[in-house]
Amino acid sequence: MDSSEGPAQRPVTLEIDGADETLEASVPPQTDPTEASFQEESIDLDAEAFASPQDYSTHTESLIDRLNDQMMESVMISDSPNSEEEDVVPIDSLLGQSEGEEVLESKTPDGDTEERKDDDAAEPEETTEPLLEEEIEEEKIAQAENKREIVPPDDSNPEAPKAPEMALEMNTDASPKEEPVPVCTIFSQAVPSKAQSLIPDGFQPTLVKSPSFTISSADTPNKLIPQVCQPSPSLSKFFTDNCVVNPASDFFDSFTTSTSFISISNPNAEPPKTAATPESPPQEAVPTSTYFAPVAAKPQVSPVEPVNKLQAVFSSGDDPFASALITSELDKRYDAWLPSDDTRKVLISVATQQISPVQIDREQLAMPGLKFDNLQCGNDLKQESKQKRNLCDLQGDAVKDLMQRFLGDQAAMKRQVLSANSVEQDFLGLKRLISSKNWRAAVDLTGRLLTAHGQGYGKSGQPSGHTTDSLQLWFVRLALLVKLNLFQNAELELEPFGNLDHPNLYYEYYPAVYPGRRGSMVPFSMRVLHAELPQYLQKPQETLDRLHRIKSVCQKILSNLQEGLAEDGSMINLTQDNRPASIQLWRSRLSRVMYSMANCLLMMKDYVLAVETYLSITEYEPEQSVQLLSGIGRIFLQIGDIRTAEKYFQDVEKACQSKGKTPDEDTSVLMNRAFVYLSQNNYADAHVCFSSVLKLDPKNPVANNNAAVCLLYLGRLKESLGQLESLVHQDPALYLHESVLFNLTTMYELESSRSTQKKQALLEAAACREGDSFNIQCLKLA
Amino acid sequence: MQVKGQSSGVDRMDVNQAKQEHLLALKVMRLTKPTLFTNMPVTCEDRDLPGDSFLRLMKDDPSTVKGAETLILGEMLTLPQNFGNIFLGETFSSYISVHNDSSQVVKDILVKADLQTSSQRLNLSASNSAVSELKPECCIDDVIHHEVKEIGTHILVCAVSYTTQTGEKLYFRKFFKFQVLKPLDVKTKFYNAESDLSSVTDEVFLEAQIQNITTSPMFMEKVSLEPSMMYNVTELNSVASGDESESTFGKMSYLQPLDTRQYLYCLKPKPEFAEKAGVIKGVTVIGKLDIVWKTNLGERGRLQTSQLQRMAPGYGDVRLSLEFIPDTVNLEEPFDITCKITNCSERTMDLVLEMCNTRSVHWCGVSGRQLGKLSPSASLSIPLKLLSSVQGLQSISGLRLTDTFLKRTYEYDDIAQVCVVCPYTSPES
Repeated sequence: MDSSEGPAQRPVTLEIDGADETLEASVPPQTDPTEASFQEESIDLDAEAFASPQDYSTHTESLIDRLNDQMMESVMISDSPNSEEEDVVPIDSLLGQSEGEEVLESKTPDGDTEERKDDDAAEPEETTEPLLEEEIEEEKIAQAENKREIVPPDDSNPEAPKAPEMALEMNTDASPKEEPVPVCTIFSQAVPSKAQSLIPDGFQPTLVKSPSFTISSADTPNKLIPQVCQPSPSLSKFFTDNCVVNPASDFFDSFTTSTSFISISNPNAEPPKTAATPESPPQEAVPTSTYFAPVAAKPQVSPVEPVNKLQAVFSSGDDPFASALITSELDKRYDAWLPSDDTRKVLISVATQQISPVQIDREQLAMPGLKFDNLQCGNDLKQESKQKRNLCDLQGDAVKDLMQRFLGDQAAMKRQVLSANSVEQDFLGLKRLISSKNWRAAVDLTGRLLTAHGQGYGKSGQPSGHTTDSLQLWFVRLALLVKLNLFQNAELELEPFGNLDHPNLYYEYYPAVYPGRRGSMVPFSMRVLHAELPQYLQKPQETLDRLHRIKSVCQKILSNLQEGLAEDGSMINLTQDNRPASIQLWRSRLSRVMYSMANCLLMMKDYVLAVETYLSITEYEPEQSVQLLSGIGRIFLQIGDIRTAEKYFQDVEKACQSKGKTPDEDTSVLMNRAFVYLSQNNYADAHVCFSSVLKLDPKNPVANNNAAVCLLYLGRLKESLGQLESLVHQDPALYLHESVLFNLTTMYELESSRSTQKKQALLEAAACREGDSFNIQCLKLA
Repeated sequence: MQVKGQSSGVDRMDVNQAKQEHLLALKVMRLTKPTLFTNMPVTCEDRDLPGDSFLRLMKDDPSTVKGAETLILGEMLTLPQNFGNIFLGETFSSYISVHNDSSQVVKDILVKADLQTSSQRLNLSASNSAVSELKPECCIDDVIHHEVKEIGTHILVCAVSYTTQTGEKLYFRKFFKFQVLKPLDVKTKFYNAESDLSSVTDEVFLEAQIQNITTSPMFMEKVSLEPSMMYNVTELNSVASGDESESTFGKMSYLQPLDTRQYLYCLKPKPEFAEKAGVIKGVTVIGKLDIVWKTNLGERGRLQTSQLQRMAPGYGDVRLSLEFIPDTVNLEEPFDITCKITNCSERTMDLVLEMCNTRSVHWCGVSGRQLGKLSPSASLSIPLKLLSSVQGLQSISGLRLTDTFLKRTYEYDDIAQVCVVCPYTSPES
């Protein structure tokens, strides 16, 4: 390559010029490029370089160092643990790579003038990689900025002009599809600096019932005015207003009928003044599912309805329907929990009316509030506001962003996902978002609903009442944050809940609202989630502590039940049917906790205890023993202990035989065999086993994927690729999974230099099907 | 992660203008074992707000274990996500793919993969014959394996030569550098069982401390001592209980990162060597440790230590060892011991045995007895009688051998210990 500079400057070390010329690529040094000639030549070269670096030590740096430095670059091999970032490297490293070649082959330690520059650019190995990555990051940001700059003209105007649109939308009941565009922008723009301003506030002026105004009888006109006349709703107004408000109750068309009436706002601060709307779930009335429609419908019912009426309902407590449900056995069974002694004392004194909840020290109460605002409307936010939201990556729809980058705005426009705005503002809408895998939007919606409940942004530390529904919302929100890997956010928002044992998290604390109801408002699943969270934040010990606490309560409740007592140890008699049902429930909860413990131990790599715990679960879940034993076997394979793994796999075979299946017909047996072959480096037989699973169960995604992986290890890249590719295209529902996509993109990268186009095709496929929670990193496009 | 190299498919503003674009692309990916996908279960109960939607999501997720969705360790294999570490004794496997990126048929493709270590260069290609032609969008695939035997920098050198349709011969190379690290730290220590009884006296105990200095757990499949020809070895790392012998390391034979484990071996000289001279002098080769471990999904590694050497304890010119001694004796009752005296020097000795009483041990018989001439390597056994006047664990001391030729005296104290008991208070009397 350096032929121009070469001859003059080159030191005498040139046994290598052969290599040199070859790199120039046009003509191999020897006319016959037989391997012998290569070998010789390269041996000379490298042997020299490696064996006698001191020969060149006269030069500023020893050649070998330089070689290494240069090579570093060219080498993609690195120990960087971060795969995604790794993937970024190829192109740049390419550049480096060719440098490496040049240097190596031209061996012109003296060509310093030129090479120095290269060196500077390249820098020592350790730093280069990070550098590359950083550069890329910067690029990304730059691109993102570009995008932002481009986007606004389209649809984001200053707030004022927006408002009419919004009003319009309200009236016209715009279809959900078009919706995300303007509506969201208003809020996200209005909101930016103050994370406080949660979008819903802006949206639902109608629903906002400030304390003053509910008390001094609802004035509907007032509500409508800000919405229609005021172009950009004054934030301050809403914020001041909403502090004690509980419009959420309107939306809480609850999932458990028993609680649908009893959304209360702040029992300890104010008299309960919920707008109870015992009407049918709003979404039925509201086909288009805009946020406003229900609002329009409801005001007639709820706000007008005097608060006192509601109170009357509660205080009298003889609404037969409600109380029947409230005291239902089912509730008792599910809500049972054993509070700590301190909490129990407080609850008893509340129940016996020794103290009123108002007198209880705030320190003892759980006062949660949102800690960050929306996840999904990141799209439409300005860059600055995005930066202000310092928590994690609250990007919006990452798939869309990626499409914009790689496929252009046009393609990105086609991407349609549900947003928090495009569904019913209630539990049904929430469920829709969850099952369509739009978890970011779902988190946003929980935020709105919680804000409506008075536990919105900045409300942490302020007293607010809890209801069954509000805690369910919190649970869903936190669960989704965990599913989205936004662990820090989840931790932050869980923090005010302490260890989920505050008195105001129990029904006994609200005797007026939940007469006669006992137990924990915190759903059991939320306790498990609360316990599991720390392990994702490198605090597995904390997770184990919490799980053990839950486990001991479960065991205590079970022993109460077995001794003929009620769950909480009281003497209340359970009916014949209820006791076994309750025992069954609590056994399943116990096994759920054990699962969490075993999983946590496995993450901690405490294999001994993990295996023990998984084994003990088989007692509770005998029907899962095949899966558990196979799982334990896989743990041993992971450690490398094949012999012990085989023992467990034999147990699986026995279990299968006892079910009357021959081992060859059972997928898990075949799968296990395949894993053993795999661990013996016998990819051919492993492939046979996975293929025979496919004969039994042609749609088995695991076997399909694993068979393809085996093919790669057998040196059959094209076949492997073809198999995976056709699977993804034929059955995207099953195969657009991050593990499969990751494998596929990895093989694309291995196959050719044009992997990016193929990855983009995958992106398009994903964009059609996947919600905003799709993990784009598996595409390795960034 | 992936070891990727790419041909000069990128135009660089180089001194010599844009380089010619190669028709072929070379990609390399290290094939470490695949990993099992772990999922993250988030569950709720039927009565919770999401209803069955969480469960349905988990059931629809192909990576979960059907029927036990809460189990995090799934069955889905994922390809290696990064290059990872490679350790001495492991096998370096790599996929080499040469892909025809162009739209023309390329001929006479020769792909060669060499591994350059600091000391040698190895050819790893499975075949060294050229592929006659490669159509567009087609690949030449090769999977190479190499057991890594050196520490330090390794460079995988991949060379591709080919002929274009126009008959132009082209050639390019790619370099992939990686470091081979040390997986284990092995420390050994010898213990001489000198004061032991009988002919066992030449037993040597080897304690080997093996530390996992990688970052992943390691299953120790085999840690054995291969003795040199002079020794027989007994492994002392399991406790026999009935038919099954249980490892001293517990049920799970794996080593967490930075964990150290101690293995113990007992070496006995083979009779033919033990007899010879009765002693093994100077530096002896004991043997070497053979270690086989496995990590993720059976990724295997094997190492042998260099020959372990031991400096045999110096016995001086005359060695006195015990062939017989009771462990328990009665107070003030004479008992017998048998001493073995070996001439370890190169010359003949003429020995006189003296016996000096100590505070507790009293020798019976004549002190200053002539033992006669003892030629090199020869030994003789002498029965002696003595009694103890003090109860408890008593040390036998006070033997003196004098070589009358050189007028040199050798002192033997603390030869062995006996437990002295009072017969009248012992339970059986």
